[in-house]
Amino acid sequence: MSIRAPRKGENYELSVDLNSEYRDKRKDAIKRVIASMTVGKDVSGLFPDVLKNMQTEDLEQKKLVYLYLMNYAKTQPELVILAVNTFVKDSEDPNPLVRALAIRTMGCLRAEKIIDYLCDPLQRALRDDNPYVRKTAALCVAKLYDLKPELVIENGFLDQLHDMISDSNPMVVANTVAALTDIHIAATSNQPTDTTSNPAVFSITSAVLNKLLIALNECSEWGRVAILNALARYEAQDDKESEHICERVVPQFQHVNGSVVLAAMKVIMIHIRNVRRDDLVKQLIRKMAPPLVTLLSSPPEVQWVALRNINLLLQKRSDLLSNEMRVFFCKYNDPLYVKIEKLDIMVRLASDNNVDALLSELKEYSSEVDVDFVRKSIKAIGQTAISIESAAERCVNVLLELINTRVSYVVQEGVVVMKDIFRKYPSTYEGVIPTLCANLEELDEPEAKASLIWIIGEYAEKIDNADELLGIFVDSFTEESYQVQLQTLTAVVKLFLKKPDSSQGVVQRVLNTATKDCDSPDVRDRAYIYWRLLSTDPGAAKAVVLAHRPPISIPRTTVSPALLEELLGEISSLASVYHKPAQTFVGHGRVGADSVQRQGSEISDAQKALQTVVAGQQAENLLDFGEDPAQDGQPSGLAATQILPSTPAAANFLSGTSANPLDDLVSIFGSMGTEVVGAGSAAALSQTSMSVSSPFDFGGLSAPSSQPTQNAQPQEDLLGLF
Amino acid sequence: MAIDGLIILDPAGRPIIQSSYSCYPTAYPMLHIEALNNALEKAPRGGSVDPVIYVAELSCSSACCHVEVGGMRFLATISEDADPLIAFAFLDTFIEILHDYFGTVNLATLKDNFDIVYQLLEETLDSSGHPLTTSQNALSDIVLPPTLISKLLASVSPSATGVPSGRQGGSFGLTGASGAFASPIPWRKAGVRHNHNEILFDVVEDMRAIVGKNGMTLVSNVFGKIESNAKLSGTPDLTLTFTNPSVMTDCAFHPCVRLQRWTRDNSLSFVPPEGRFILADYQYKPPQGAVISNVPIPLSLKANVDMGEFGGTFTLTLTSRSMKVMENVELELYLGEDATSAQCTLSSAGSGVGSVGSADGSWSFDSRKKMLRWEILNMRSSGSWILRGSWTSKIKAPRPAHAFQIRFEIPSFSFSSLKVDQLRLSGETYKMYKGVRMRSKGSLEWRW
Repeated sequence: MSIRAPRKGENYELSVDLNSEYRDKRKDAIKRVIASMTVGKDVSGLFPDVLKNMQTEDLEQKKLVYLYLMNYAKTQPELVILAVNTFVKDSEDPNPLVRALAIRTMGCLRAEKIIDYLCDPLQRALRDDNPYVRKTAALCVAKLYDLKPELVIENGFLDQLHDMISDSNPMVVANTVAALTDIHIAATSNQPTDTTSNPAVFSITSAVLNKLLIALNECSEWGRVAILNALARYEAQDDKESEHICERVVPQFQHVNGSVVLAAMKVIMIHIRNVRRDDLVKQLIRKMAPPLVTLLSSPPEVQWVALRNINLLLQKRSDLLSNEMRVFFCKYNDPLYVKIEKLDIMVRLASDNNVDALLSELKEYSSEVDVDFVRKSIKAIGQTAISIESAAERCVNVLLELINTRVSYVVQEGVVVMKDIFRKYPSTYEGVIPTLCANLEELDEPEAKASLIWIIGEYAEKIDNADELLGIFVDSFTEESYQVQLQTLTAVVKLFLKKPDSSQGVVQRVLNTATKDCDSPDVRDRAYIYWRLLSTDPGAAKAVVLAHRPPISIPRTTVSPALLEELLGEISSLASVYHKPAQTFVGHGRVGADSVQRQGSEISDAQKALQTVVAGQQAENLLDFGEDPAQDGQPSGLAATQILPSTPAAANFLSGTSANPLDDLVSIFGSMGTEVVGAGSAAALSQTSMSVSSPFDFGGLSAPSSQPTQNAQPQEDLLGLF
Repeated sequence: MAIDGLIILDPAGRPIIQSSYSCYPTAYPMLHIEALNNALEKAPRGGSVDPVIYVAELSCSSACCHVEVGGMRFLATISEDADPLIAFAFLDTFIEILHDYFGTVNLATLKDNFDIVYQLLEETLDSSGHPLTTSQNALSDIVLPPTLISKLLASVSPSATGVPSGRQGGSFGLTGASGAFASPIPWRKAGVRHNHNEILFDVVEDMRAIVGKNGMTLVSNVFGKIESNAKLSGTPDLTLTFTNPSVMTDCAFHPCVRLQRWTRDNSLSFVPPEGRFILADYQYKPPQGAVISNVPIPLSLKANVDMGEFGGTFTLTLTSRSMKVMENVELELYLGEDATSAQCTLSSAGSGVGSVGSADGSWSFDSRKKMLRWEILNMRSSGSWILRGSWTSKIKAPRPAHAFQIRFEIPSFSFSSLKVDQLRLSGETYKMYKGVRMRSKGSLEWRW
């Protein structure tokens, strides 16, 4: 039994007022009870008093009492039983609003005991004359299924729902579809194998399809989204039917609500796969652009979601917005998350025609205050240079201008980007090397330093004072980060192979330091390899260290083609915003009436999910550079960092992928490396590379035991294993 | 599509109102609130937080979408693979509903009317995550808006007026029931009666543009909206035609508009909802063939900014290029994190005869936001205004924003010169009052 409130204090006063003879005083008291409840005060002691006020003509008061009941139903289900009679009575009230309210509230109570009383009223409500009651009842069936699926099946509610797809009222149809979809999801997520015999599975037949297409134009925005989501699941019989669906759905692009537009876009992207008529495909694609542009005039939050989806759509249909790059120009006042997405899309849309406009924008952004954004802009310049060959020179000129500003982070990012341009266009822009070297002193970030060292090493024969410049880094070798150490080591060896006369001393010094004073196994091992190579066969050393590297390119997609297809099917969902398949991060939120105590055990599920995401991320990184074998399995700074913007909100999962290209060594074993990487799994990578390392197991040099523990630098680890 | 619930946080990040979350563990809403508050805390000053925050702590990982309104945060939590855009669209709709009910949305009004907010929440969002009734026409039948009378009644002693008010509540339930949802048209109430029938259209065009350093327009888009306010009896069937419908491109319409008619003869045929609604959205694009396809910007800015050590000086000249009077012209420049003060003088050099100098302009410096603001309430055609001044900064090389933000309004003007031809009424016999108003506004980014 409930405990009576003490005879004084706030609750006592409330209890007196709840029993007042005056209606308004009682109603006012209920409001105060609700107010206390929402700020977290315990007013459960007033339960019997509040319950007395449930039977009333005043709908507003009734709603407030129901609100109270819903709040305490979870913690004190035994009390709610007291209210059951009123609910059942209300479900037969002449006022349809009261009937609907009773049904809706009973569905929300989620108390096992009350469910048994729900079936009869629900049965009636599903057949109610009033569409408002029917559409409320439809959703209630889904809730009941969540709690006790067997009740739904026994009572034939499912068949009734299927009949209701033919309801005359479009809103009832929409809610019925929503309910059936919920039931479908609940049923299939529990036992995914058994799909045909399960009556709860909502299979959309062509008869259903036609009803949905008719209701689509009649119902509210939310109803439309529900119907569109169902249409996305439909498997068309032939291309004619796909065309029909596309043609019927396209008008939804003209809805004011952005979520309807995106849901329609999802349906089109799915069914367009089967459309054979080229003219129709062209027409559909043309019609997709304007609503996307319109979404960009929305508030920043909506813009962001839209931009994430546009980014995905563009990976599949690069022609989608080819004339619209200007719409994506960043404004100073845009939030950073919007700017970064816009930047990514602008680079995607870059072509010969608009590259000048793009470059002058990027240059503009590079003078802004926000450091992150400036860096991303400079990266974008590099990406443009790499993807559009004819514009490379203009890009380099812009970069030079930026480097000449001498703003520290601009210079550093510029150097990193220049290195990638050198990779793509070897021996083309050597004229800029003096400018880069002039900024040597200002570099303090490992990646920038490593990039400059790589450039010096690569073009050592053309830089007169290369030994001097590299000498600076050799002097401070032990203080540098491993990244810089590795790069210094390689650059000095390159220098030695190119100009053996002047650099004998420096190469001796660096090999000595690296093998004796360095605590990184990777650096040490690499130094040993070089040493061994140089001492046994300088010719082989030349063939290895100075080997020709295939130029890099930037993948058009940031996700694998298979994943892209999957994500396109989920346009407008969380998956498409995160660019991650849904199952890696979404679980089932709702819990049954009695499963709250299972909480503890479920926490491990969350951790599992987390690991999956991390693994997925890792696999993605690897896939990313394994995609194009010509890339010698090496995402250089640019390609690798492209992954970063693709996961803004899930960034906490994202391990930094700023691994510097330690290209030279990897490229030697390039052919082997890519095959392995193509397999796409980190485990396979480490294993096979272990075996690869054995032929190079010179003399006393044993394969080091450093396993790739940090997923942050798979590439470096790969190097370390050699 | 599953919006699990909605939570409203006060400016301090504490929840004031939240939906019931009856199907979820008790900690569920708290975790989302915490995730949001943590993210906001971590964000740099004035920095932005990702609008969709991923919450992984719980067994059922989910995300929360949030927007800020009047200092408060409205957050919608979504689980499963829901559409964040639905969450934002719903938040938007819900906030719009609150505006309609209370006039303004702020902490005080929400606290005063929390019972109504709760009822609205119950009616608009089902606990299974599906948005329900969000059309204002239908909602006003099931949740009574706070009226002057109900407030008056509440303020006097409850015992004195107990009976009549109770009856009012009861009777409303019954009459509302007959009307609500019995209407064959989902967006329109059945049986509306007005003594005076009228429908008003406000065509509002919004220009968004970026002007480059050299004064060339880089981007300019004009987004138009036809806002309507209908007070019509019965079931009026309206047909709205334009003399130049071709200026409207990429249109999006309220569901009441018959799309087939628009595709056939570019006329808008519809049975309007009651009250305020947006009939159509469109984009205005100047006729093809022009060399520069940008809509001309109705003002120009000449900016001379000299950066010095610990500050700088500037001379800004704003010139109106509009044929109409521009109002509430507002120019803003962010002077950088380390700006400390600004000093300016205003003058106006115009072709106008009686130019009155500083009388129609004012400037200010917001030392908290580091924002220099210059306002001109009334800018007549082809006049010029000048702002000269200087600012100081704590650091040697100040870093102000390289773009001015300019906003303006032009009453009785539209960029597209969209013209309504006529509005025909069928299905009803009464005479109605019709009104069309044009209005334009713009927000520009002017780089220097």
